[in-house]
Amino acid sequence: MKTEESIASFREKHAALRAEIGKVMVGNDAIVEGTLTAILAGGHVLLEGVPGLGKTLLVRTLSEVLELTFNRIQFTPDLMPADILGTNIVMEMPDGRREFQFQRGPIFAHLVLADEINRATPKTQSALLEAMQEKQVTAGGEIRKLAEPFFVLATQNPIDQEGTYPLPEAQLDRFFFKLLVDYPSAADLTEVHNRTTENTKVQVNKVLDGAALLELQQLVRQVPIASHVKDYAVRLVLATHPKTETAAPIANQYLRFGSSPRGGQCLVLAGKVRALTQGRFNVSFDDILAVTAAALRHRLILNFEAEAEGITTDHIIAQVLKDVPRNLEAVKA
Amino acid sequence: MLTITAYKIFPLPAGSLLAGGIAAAVVAVASLILAAGRKVSLRETARWADARKQLQERLSTALELAAAPGAGESKDLLVRDAARHAKDLDPRQLLPFRWPMVSRWALLVVALGTGLGFVPEYRSREFVQKQKDAANIRDAGKQLAELTRQKLAQRPPVLEPTLKAMESVAEVGDKLDHSTLTRSEALRDLTSVTDKLAQQTKELEKNPALKPLERAARESTTGGTPSPGDLQKQIDALQKSLGSAAGDPDKLEKLQKQLQQLQQAAANLPDKNAAASSASQEQMSQALSELSKQAQELGASLPGLEEAIAALQANQTDLFLKDLDAALNDLDKLKQMAKAMQQLQQQMAKLGKDLAEQLKNGQAQAAQATLQKMIEQLQSASLTQEQLQKIMEEVSAAAEPGSEYGKVGDYLKSAAGQMRKGQQPDAAQNLAAAAKELDKLLQQMADAESLQAALDALDQAQLAIASGKGWSECKRFCRFCNGAGCGHCRGWGHGVGRGAGVGTWADEGLNYLPEQGEAFDNSGIVRPDMDPRGRTDRPDDLNPDLAPTKVRGQISPGGSMPSITLKGVSIKGTSSVKYQEAAAAAQAEAQAALNQDLVPRAYQGAVRDYFDDLKK
Repeated sequence: MKTEESIASFREKHAALRAEIGKVMVGNDAIVEGTLTAILAGGHVLLEGVPGLGKTLLVRTLSEVLELTFNRIQFTPDLMPADILGTNIVMEMPDGRREFQFQRGPIFAHLVLADEINRATPKTQSALLEAMQEKQVTAGGEIRKLAEPFFVLATQNPIDQEGTYPLPEAQLDRFFFKLLVDYPSAADLTEVHNRTTENTKVQVNKVLDGAALLELQQLVRQVPIASHVKDYAVRLVLATHPKTETAAPIANQYLRFGSSPRGGQCLVLAGKVRALTQGRFNVSFDDILAVTAAALRHRLILNFEAEAEGITTDHIIAQVLKDVPRNLEAVKA
Repeated sequence: MLTITAYKIFPLPAGSLLAGGIAAAVVAVASLILAAGRKVSLRETARWADARKQLQERLSTALELAAAPGAGESKDLLVRDAARHAKDLDPRQLLPFRWPMVSRWALLVVALGTGLGFVPEYRSREFVQKQKDAANIRDAGKQLAELTRQKLAQRPPVLEPTLKAMESVAEVGDKLDHSTLTRSEALRDLTSVTDKLAQQTKELEKNPALKPLERAARESTTGGTPSPGDLQKQIDALQKSLGSAAGDPDKLEKLQKQLQQLQQAAANLPDKNAAASSASQEQMSQALSELSKQAQELGASLPGLEEAIAALQANQTDLFLKDLDAALNDLDKLKQMAKAMQQLQQQMAKLGKDLAEQLKNGQAQAAQATLQKMIEQLQSASLTQEQLQKIMEEVSAAAEPGSEYGKVGDYLKSAAGQMRKGQQPDAAQNLAAAAKELDKLLQQMADAESLQAALDALDQAQLAIASGKGWSECKRFCRFCNGAGCGHCRGWGHGVGRGAGVGTWADEGLNYLPEQGEAFDNSGIVRPDMDPRGRTDRPDDLNPDLAPTKVRGQISPGGSMPSITLKGVSIKGTSSVKYQEAAAAAQAEAQAALNQDLVPRAYQGAVRDYFDDLKK
């Protein structure tokens, strides 16, 4: 298939996905778009929002439109790593022998919903580290590859913090995007009420299978990016590093740690996905700009001053975007 | 802009504005050159176009990847996509003519700068006063140096100390002109030189032989007594110019009056076509002919009169009036010359008849000439006994007044004794020694005058600096003549100023009185301030036509008012103010001036009458 046709196909499938999800999800276009972007880029998504905004519904719907295996893990404080990854149990063979056999946990699926991920202990949360980054599981001294494509879509509740365990930085960094689910508008809420309180059943169709999704992910990586756009992404990441020459003033004031290199990778990959969804085969500054908040907000560690003043990472990212010029040569000239 | 603002606020020199302007121009030109020389790469252009037309980095990405090695479908796709978008680019839309933001700021700066140009500079009172003082000091120094150098060039002092003192005055003037001195420093320098000069003047004044010369100089209005020979030369020259008309200025005046009456009558002649015209012309022609005859009898040559008669006969009224005017001018000149000669003759008559009188009157130059004449006679072989006797008697009589001139009296006595003994050569030698002594005294007198003039100039400079007024406003008049002109102040340019002229003693101020260091001798004072002014230092061999004449001021009833030059702006054009209003305003101003005694008392009545007439 020619590249041009691939792009057209990408856009068609993306539009189809949006349409199918839209049958179930009302509003929250940015969340849907962000989730799809992360999936098309091969990344995991952390959805944060108060209860009842449709986070779980979105993931479940996504599992329905994608022809992929889906598992849901409800994270609780007593959840153990083995409950996620699986464990060796003694099995009686037909010939009467007894031997250990690995019983796969729920992680062994294409699409894993980690619901209320912050309710599990850090030990359990950390069980996802290898799976998310290496896409493999090591259990009983044996490495087991996860099926491709593999996505973790986690949700967490920003309120009701009692009995929760904030995700460790290493865990957070493995999420491609962190999306903040907000309250719906009045029109959206009305529509939600209509759909959920009446006796209507929505049937969603499968749009993509795993192989097709992998092809799309490969296409995404083929999208070229000009050096100055790449440089912009790099400068954005560097601007978040406090106490360095490249740091933005606000980063020096309110950040303890800046974005990891994964943040830059996310910016570029997400920018490429956005370019394709816009029908372009090149990444623009606007693409980078559009995904910066989702890609970097969970990678910035605030200092005490920021916490005390109620400064959020989104404030800092907005200021960094103002401070970092798009075209450095123009600035030098 | 910054320079203008700083100049308006701070007391910067005016040159800083020029420097600021030059710097701005240099920066502008340099910026222009740099901008013209700056090359923009294709990559930069592509990025600029992407940003300008929001092409989502299509052009810049395509350009970058097109240059990369290896070919691929994606590269083709990118280039095609970029080309498709580039096709729609219109350079005129991309670069429409518009003023960049910086030019608006520049315009604002220019407008502000222009506005600031009309804002008066802020200068503190202290600074303004300081500047004024500095300018006054420079001006006073310049004037002082110029005056002293002029004086030195005109009449270099004979005595070495006087020369040095005068040069030191010029040096102080230069110092004030070129150095930046405070008022107190300048005054200190001036005082120092003044003391030095005053000391030297006192030294000179101690010489009793100079007293009669001083007295004579004070009384004289012509700057010393000229020798009889010089006077005779001037009289001869005038006589030659005037011819036989010289003897009778009164007749010339009468002739002038008649001619003036005729001129007035000519101005009132009826029209050419009127019947009375020819009769009037005939009468006038006859009258003119008679006047012409009278002028010829007086020896006055009036070619304008002949031409006027011819013009009248040719019925050319304009030409006739013009010629008549020329004749009147000629006649006026002749009259002035006749009067001048009369005065010279009077002056000649005032000269001492013999050596004794000349010495008594302080006429040293005349005495010198007389002595020289006697020496020549004594040395002459054809000297008769009678002539010798006459010389001896004259010299003997002159011995007493000569004793006032130091050794002159002794020399004259010796000469008289030697002549009695028949020793004419020795007598001639003594007379020569007396003449030489007189010459020496005259030179000392000249030096004293120079010193006195330098002191006056120093006084004026001190006054100008101390009072903060201009040099010309602080004119100091001669303590002997108060600016009217006398032998003491000859050549030091008494100009116009308050105090001198027609008025009363009360108007003159304290400057009129001389220094009260000794008993004041006013026996010879004849109010020289009553004399006309305007005399300048002129060479003795001046063309008599150009010689100034002295005319006593007079106001004749019904005659024209003496003119007074007033300073002010001349306004030309048609007045927009009604005559009555203007007259009332002028009268009010005149009344105010009269009330404040700004008008000399002698003129007050005339001024009051004049403005009262205006009101009618």
